[in-house]
Amino acid sequence: MTMTLRVEDLAVRAPNGRILVTCGRFSAAPGETIGLRGPSGAGKSTFLYALAGLQPGMTGHVDWNGTDLTPLGDGDRARFRRENIGLIFQDFLLFEELSAFGNATLATAFNKAAKRRSIRDTAKSFLAKLGVPADRRTVDSFSGGERQRTGIARALAHDPAIILADEPTASLDRKTADALIEDLVTLARAEAKTLIAVSHDPHLLERMDRVIEIADGRLETEASPA
Amino acid sequence: MPPQVQDSLWLLLLLAPAALTGLCVLWGFRPQALVGALLWRFRWTNLTFVLLIAISVGIGVGLIAQERGLRKGTARAADKFDLIVSAPGSEITMMFAAVYLQPSDVPLLGGEAFDEIAGHDSVDLAAPIAFGDSYGESPVVGTTAQFVAHLAGDLTEGRMFATTTEAIAGSSVDLALGASFEPAHGVGDAAEAEAHAGQDLTIVGRMPPTGSPWDRAILVPVESVWEVHGLMNGHGPERRDTIGPPFDPDYFPGTPAILVRAEALWANYALRSEFTRDDMMAFFPGAVLAQLHGLMGDVRQMMSVMAVLTQVLVTAGVLTGLIVLARLFARRLALLRALGAPGRFVFAVVWAYAAVLITLGALAGLAIGWVAVRVISKAVTARTDILVSATLDWPEFHLIAAFVSFTVLLALLPAFMAMSRHIITDLRA
Repeated sequence: MTMTLRVEDLAVRAPNGRILVTCGRFSAAPGETIGLRGPSGAGKSTFLYALAGLQPGMTGHVDWNGTDLTPLGDGDRARFRRENIGLIFQDFLLFEELSAFGNATLATAFNKAAKRRSIRDTAKSFLAKLGVPADRRTVDSFSGGERQRTGIARALAHDPAIILADEPTASLDRKTADALIEDLVTLARAEAKTLIAVSHDPHLLERMDRVIEIADGRLETEASPA
Repeated sequence: MPPQVQDSLWLLLLLAPAALTGLCVLWGFRPQALVGALLWRFRWTNLTFVLLIAISVGIGVGLIAQERGLRKGTARAADKFDLIVSAPGSEITMMFAAVYLQPSDVPLLGGEAFDEIAGHDSVDLAAPIAFGDSYGESPVVGTTAQFVAHLAGDLTEGRMFATTTEAIAGSSVDLALGASFEPAHGVGDAAEAEAHAGQDLTIVGRMPPTGSPWDRAILVPVESVWEVHGLMNGHGPERRDTIGPPFDPDYFPGTPAILVRAEALWANYALRSEFTRDDMMAFFPGAVLAQLHGLMGDVRQMMSVMAVLTQVLVTAGVLTGLIVLARLFARRLALLRALGAPGRFVFAVVWAYAAVLITLGALAGLAIGWVAVRVISKAVTARTDILVSATLDWPEFHLIAAFVSFTVLLALLPAFMAMSRHIITDLRA
């Protein structure tokens, strides 16, 4: 399944009412890769999390294939993420006491029984593609690159149409980061996933179809790859 | 319905709230791996929580089981003492002196009183119990061969005493057959070791264990006790060298207590009425003990309430700790929600985590209680010679089941609090 994103008049407010991010109009085509760039504190991650329906205090529209996340309750937003979104984090956010496979198949713990097998099969396949050790070793012994690859496998295990990545290479050395960028972009394109990545990393941004600038909480015009 | 079945059903009923809560909370989820990961990550903290719960549960069940064991032990020790007749005074003091061999100065009953009791138609056995001397830690008690047989049955070794210089050792007396000893006048630190110098007694037999303080006693013919005190020996000149009943009232120096056994159970009540008057009193040690246990019943209830309260307080403390601990793994819980886990799943993870700690703590508490009961029973038995064989029983299992059910319900609170946290704030923490 592919997903088209349409954002209109989005505003994300802090609990005190202060506006954190605004976006007049933004869209993403199925299978498109988009970079979000901007200075620290500009609201890139807030915008990314708003696209995932994680932000409270949202007004406007975040519409994925006709499903507007803004008016949905927590339960419906969670269900949407569970079915359609894969998240990748800067510092991996893995369960250190679990193996790569255990981390990659986290979603089996809360998904319906019917989907558990497919998650396990997909996770196994992505771990193999990404060259992550799939033995019983816990991930606390993994290198940064192996951890982030585990994070990618986790994000893709439930076969989401959308991948949202928050600074996926920030905790990695250059060589590892480059290899990971290659893996991530290749996989996203091969699987026709919509990839939106927040990053300061020019190597990652130059591999994106387009790059959007965010400054002072406002989504600016489309920028050229770095 | 057999008691065992009733107790089992009661146990299941008490566990039902916990099981139902677990079923409702965990339905459709498989949080085992995540709970296991969290348990392992904070293993030392978790171990502390489990130990705290275990100790409070252990103390609770241990106290209750011990109290029951002590009650049964004291009742068993008094089992052979159907009716005690003594000079008027405190029934409790006399019971402790005659049944549990606790030293006490009590007035004596004279020969006429003994003769009247022993000669009563309904009396099957009337045995003087003359205490006051000792050897080491062992009280030396003067009585009759009939009482020895009544108390302990057949001897495990040797034979019954046949002269006033012979004695029967209780099962835990550290004197071998044939060993001689010199009794001291009095008991404990106040005993006068030289008071009966030259009055050697020889062990000729040993009683089997009775599970009572009589196991450390040395039993001698009552005539022997009288003679070493320079008194008449209960028999006229023509029977001076014999031992045992009948005794001549004119030559009977007195006895602190008389054990009476009636020919029929009902007759004991008539005898008690008949011998309760101005110059003597008769009482059932079992009834006095029941009164004492009744008085202690309030204490027992208080102990039970305190035990439960302690457990609940400790668990409340642990759950408060869990709320704090949940903040430590709030980021991981936020991750789960970011990945699309329903709030109910996060609720289930935290609840299951707490429930595992509570269940492990309760099981460990059961083990601690079991060990504590054994150790304390041994110590009490060694100290009092009353065989206390306390074991954990249904009331303790019921207590633990109620505790588990109540506390896993309390665990819904930290689970709810964890579920209500702000995902983005925790993700960025």
